[in-house]
Amino acid sequence: MIQFQYVKPSKPKAAIDTVAKDQSAVFIAGGTNLVDLMKRGVMNPEKLVDINKLPLRKIERENGNVRIGALALNGAVAEDKLVLEKHPLLAQALNAGASAQLRNMATVGGNMMQRVRCPYFYDTAMPCNKREPGTGCGALEGYNRMHAIFGHSDKCIAVNPSDMNVALVALDAVVLVSGPKGDRKIPFAEFHRLPGDTPQIHTNLQQGELIMAVDVPENPYTKNVNYLKIRDRNSYAFALVSVAAALDLDGSTIKSARLAMGGVAHKPWRLNEAEQFLAGKPATEATFRQAAQLAMRGAKAFEHNKFKLTLGPNTIVQALKNASGVA
Amino acid sequence: MDRVDGRLKVTGAAKYSAEYELPNMAHAVLVGSTIAKGSIKSLDTKRAENAPGVLAVLHYQNAPKVPGYAQAAHPTEPKPVGQPLQLFIDNQIHFNDHPIAVVVADTLERAMYAAKLVKAQYNEEKHATDFNRNTAKAFLPTAAKRNPKHPLGDYVRGKEDAYKIEPLKIESEYVIPTEFHNPMELQSIIAHWEAADKLTVYDKTQAVMGTQNAFAKDWKIPVENVKVIATFVGGAFGNGLHTWPHETAAIMAAKKVNRPVKLMLTREQMFTMVGYRPHAWQKVGMSATKDGKITAITHEAIGQTSSYEEFTESTLQQTRMMYTSPNVTTRYRILPLDVSTPIWMRGPGEATGAFALESALDEMAFVLGMDPLEFRLINHTDKDPEKNLPWSTKYLKEAMQMGAERIGWSKRQLKPGMVKNGEWLVGYGMGVGTFGANRGRAKVKATLHKDGTLVMQSATTDIGPGTGTAMVQIAAQNLGLPPEKIVFELGSSLYPPSPSQGGSATVATVGSAVHAACQALKQRLTSMVAGNADTSFKGATVENLTFKDGYVSMTASPSARLSFADILKQQNLPELEVTEESTPDASLRQKYSMYSYSVHFAEVQVHPLTGQIKVTNMVSCADAGTIINAKTAGNQMVGGAVGGIGMALTEGAVMDHRFGRYVTKDLAEYHVPVHADAPNISSLFVNKPDLINNPNGTKGIGEIAIIGVAPAIANAIFNATGKRIRELPITPDKLI
Amino acid sequence: MSSDKFPEKNLPEEENGPQHSDARRTFLKQSSLLTALALAPSAAIKAAELKFEEKVAAVFEQVKVTLGINGKKHKLSIEPRATLLDLLREQMHLTGTKKGCDYGQCGACTVHVDGQRVLSCLTLAAMVDGKEVTTIEGLANGDKLHPMQEAFIKHDGFQCGYCTPGQIMSAVACVREGHADSDDEIREFMSGNICRCGAYPNIVNAIKEVKNGGQRV
Repeated sequence: MIQFQYVKPSKPKAAIDTVAKDQSAVFIAGGTNLVDLMKRGVMNPEKLVDINKLPLRKIERENGNVRIGALALNGAVAEDKLVLEKHPLLAQALNAGASAQLRNMATVGGNMMQRVRCPYFYDTAMPCNKREPGTGCGALEGYNRMHAIFGHSDKCIAVNPSDMNVALVALDAVVLVSGPKGDRKIPFAEFHRLPGDTPQIHTNLQQGELIMAVDVPENPYTKNVNYLKIRDRNSYAFALVSVAAALDLDGSTIKSARLAMGGVAHKPWRLNEAEQFLAGKPATEATFRQAAQLAMRGAKAFEHNKFKLTLGPNTIVQALKNASGVA
Repeated sequence: MDRVDGRLKVTGAAKYSAEYELPNMAHAVLVGSTIAKGSIKSLDTKRAENAPGVLAVLHYQNAPKVPGYAQAAHPTEPKPVGQPLQLFIDNQIHFNDHPIAVVVADTLERAMYAAKLVKAQYNEEKHATDFNRNTAKAFLPTAAKRNPKHPLGDYVRGKEDAYKIEPLKIESEYVIPTEFHNPMELQSIIAHWEAADKLTVYDKTQAVMGTQNAFAKDWKIPVENVKVIATFVGGAFGNGLHTWPHETAAIMAAKKVNRPVKLMLTREQMFTMVGYRPHAWQKVGMSATKDGKITAITHEAIGQTSSYEEFTESTLQQTRMMYTSPNVTTRYRILPLDVSTPIWMRGPGEATGAFALESALDEMAFVLGMDPLEFRLINHTDKDPEKNLPWSTKYLKEAMQMGAERIGWSKRQLKPGMVKNGEWLVGYGMGVGTFGANRGRAKVKATLHKDGTLVMQSATTDIGPGTGTAMVQIAAQNLGLPPEKIVFELGSSLYPPSPSQGGSATVATVGSAVHAACQALKQRLTSMVAGNADTSFKGATVENLTFKDGYVSMTASPSARLSFADILKQQNLPELEVTEESTPDASLRQKYSMYSYSVHFAEVQVHPLTGQIKVTNMVSCADAGTIINAKTAGNQMVGGAVGGIGMALTEGAVMDHRFGRYVTKDLAEYHVPVHADAPNISSLFVNKPDLINNPNGTKGIGEIAIIGVAPAIANAIFNATGKRIRELPITPDKLI
Repeated sequence: MSSDKFPEKNLPEEENGPQHSDARRTFLKQSSLLTALALAPSAAIKAAELKFEEKVAAVFEQVKVTLGINGKKHKLSIEPRATLLDLLREQMHLTGTKKGCDYGQCGACTVHVDGQRVLSCLTLAAMVDGKEVTTIEGLANGDKLHPMQEAFIKHDGFQCGYCTPGQIMSAVACVREGHADSDDEIREFMSGNICRCGAYPNIVNAIKEVKNGGQRV
């Protein structure tokens, strides 16, 4: 790790100003991803702005939302009464991620900022356009088993590794951001971005912008929800494919649905078309299968991840079955 | 009995190799190449050298010469052809992450930072790392070329490839990927030159004496001038059976900076610097009669090795001796690639071979419409068909029966996919394992103190099985002394010699020396009491005395008894010391064939839509002779089963052959099993002694604990789903 | 050298003027003593005059922290890049906390910070300033082992012992958190602690015993 300067401001404005002014400065909260990347020389910030003194840990009801402070810990959010009551899907997704220790360190804001887990991004001896623009995408014709089937470009085919993000995009969360130019709100679906020609740009945050909180609007998805994560071992592994499914049921009829996938794209992948299809339909495996097929439209796989074209829809079907209780 | 070192381990007081405090210690970090083959064109070390705290940057141009490199020997048996990688001797690169420099600094942080500043330019050459594309280059190992009767040579019993002309047959290919030991402790060493010709290393090794000899030869110093300390070893599973470049790097660095130097590999370096279970391709052809008698087996294997060292393992041994087939053919080849050298990994060879053989058995049984347990019982053999010798002991049938009962084998249906638990498909499978019941030569020093305590010493190691605990128990039983009065010290080259801890031979080997030392002590104590002025022990012999609870008494008249302590006091002795060596009787190996056996039963559930796999129950049974400590022996069996779950379901390294560089080189990308992968696992022992093997009646456990587990799980998955997966690991994508 | 001349190293607040940090960054960037001298405060110049380039670096690169470790307060001067794990092992010589991967992928380095289980390998030591750290060495009450330590011995919840301190620290937290109500729950909430020897079933049994024993953990 390179030497860096370490500061720990107690007011958001000071933190924001510091990072806004300095391209080589970054925020640090839980550090679970950033410290890892710094050890490997993938990220080499010269200044760390520790934001843990900022008052951003609260989880509260606010204006029809559950407002989760950016520094709320993943583990705390997963066990929070309000979250369990209003957004059990989010709690399930959080508990599917990482390990108990990491969830005790990682924050909600940090989880949103989590970088890709692509091995070419992590190994500084390998080509990676995200780490070093212009060097090429190592995964494109390399080992791409864990990689994207949606929204990729020839510059980058990595996926967003977060579980939490999949639930948040499904639940129409909104990110509250404060920056040098003031405050703004970013719909969760627009927070992360597709790689396009600039995979080095991870999110739509501007330099110096700080995530303050995330608002998850209260909704009817408090009961029939399921976060299903398929992975290479039964815990503590990144998703091959994951699905966040939430249903509002009237008897056996689906009033509305929320559906998103993880492990398939550079951003958490909301399945709007499938959701619309599900609305008003009977909650049956046949319906779920049709929705899953819709969801997979436009998917394109690579040499090692073709299985996602089957595992993806199967997981959607199973998550919907689990959520609805349809056997 | 609880482990004798349990308290040290649960309090953090147990010291592993990187955890010794030495004055003025410096930290070293190894730098590896970023190409797989070629040579270093130029090396830029300036920035690293100028970085704060850096004491030295060593590389092929400036590293201290290792005087004994020419005749360096391998520390363990059998000796591979070729030689271990010699560090910093030239600019040649033999594999990706080949060590090119070692950076030494005053603090760890500074060493790690400076290591990243070393940059190399290369003359790159075309490398070959892709096993599948290079199988044509595989060859018969040199040892077998020189001696056709060598166990690695081709073997034909009956007619060669006889299965081919039989009507009822199967023929299948099996692949296991490269797997990594990944012990939790990173390979570490502290090297300290106490004088110009006196070296002490605190080293992670399974071979104290082997390491001592290797470094003495390397540095051309007397063997007794090299001290090797390996009191606690944080797992190894075989990767402590070789000397590796990082050890030499630390020793060189310590010489250069004239300070003790600590070097701990990174987890990524554990994938390139300290061996692995090699990628292997296998093919099994098998034929049988309708009523289930195997008529022929042909088993071929190709295993990966490096370009500079011939690594071999006995992949095909189980096929030669396990079943009573009149016709058996085996062919073993190795394939050198531009990679680092493999090393034996738990159940070496045999675990690889058993995956193919025991999967093939299951496939054959399925073709015959026969229960695979019954099929194995039909082909059980009561003598060694390879050597035509009786077994020293073999209680495999008993083990099979115990295991079948415990897992509920009767629930298994012949037809796959018939048993369900909700949406999940349930399947049962079994696999058999065997490993030579090896025993070597070892020496133990035993000192009985006047306070009645016994201290034993031997230069063996304990990588986790509980060596010290077993030795204490053997001594307690043999000498009649409570275990809490006995200490067994290991892991130091200052102690009498023992072989490396490998090949499941430690208890048989060192335990026999403990047995001998106890016999010698009893003999000495007997002479002392027999010659006593007090005549109550008149005519005492070892046979007519009872040694119990630290007392000696005449068996016939137990009222007169003397404590060991009192005997020593009477003799005015502060202590009574014996050193005994135990050597196996070679003639017995001519008369008997000696093996440990295991049989593993697995119950799995597979989700038909998502391919999720859960091992829901496992029963591992062993014929491993006398069980000295049920707790630690059972733990070893359970641990082997967990390792087998990894082999079957989660483990496999992937290399990007464009670069010859691994892309799965940490514990997030290379999946070893976690808690959630391990069900309750029962371990059962036949627990009958093999007194032909050694006086304690033990046979090894460590290897058979994993050999046969992977096929048991693969077979269970077939039984659940009807899908036969012949390439490990069996991940969800292969089952949808 | 008195480090109080470098207030930005004392867990700096935003109130610090920009020039110190800028100077330091330039120093680091160019790794040039001359540049540093041009901008650095007097103590550094003095050190430089004595040709103690490394000491200059040290002054620039240290922060002061106060940590409670196993109930004892420690005032330490550390590099901000030092992890809690390396601080414990290399500087405090508390080697019970293990390095198994250094990337947050194995759990061997698990310690409690203010009572919560975390990974010390991904924790910058500077970030636990003012907090209380408990390591395996601080778990027992003098000679009396913690019930979880006793249970690990009884159930043989280890082999080589290297992952054991992390397993035990994690297990204690697992029970405290209320995540030890069933075998499956224990397995899930202990999955961040890898045991390559494979003693998992014994570890689960040890945790169950402590949980069911109802002792205070």
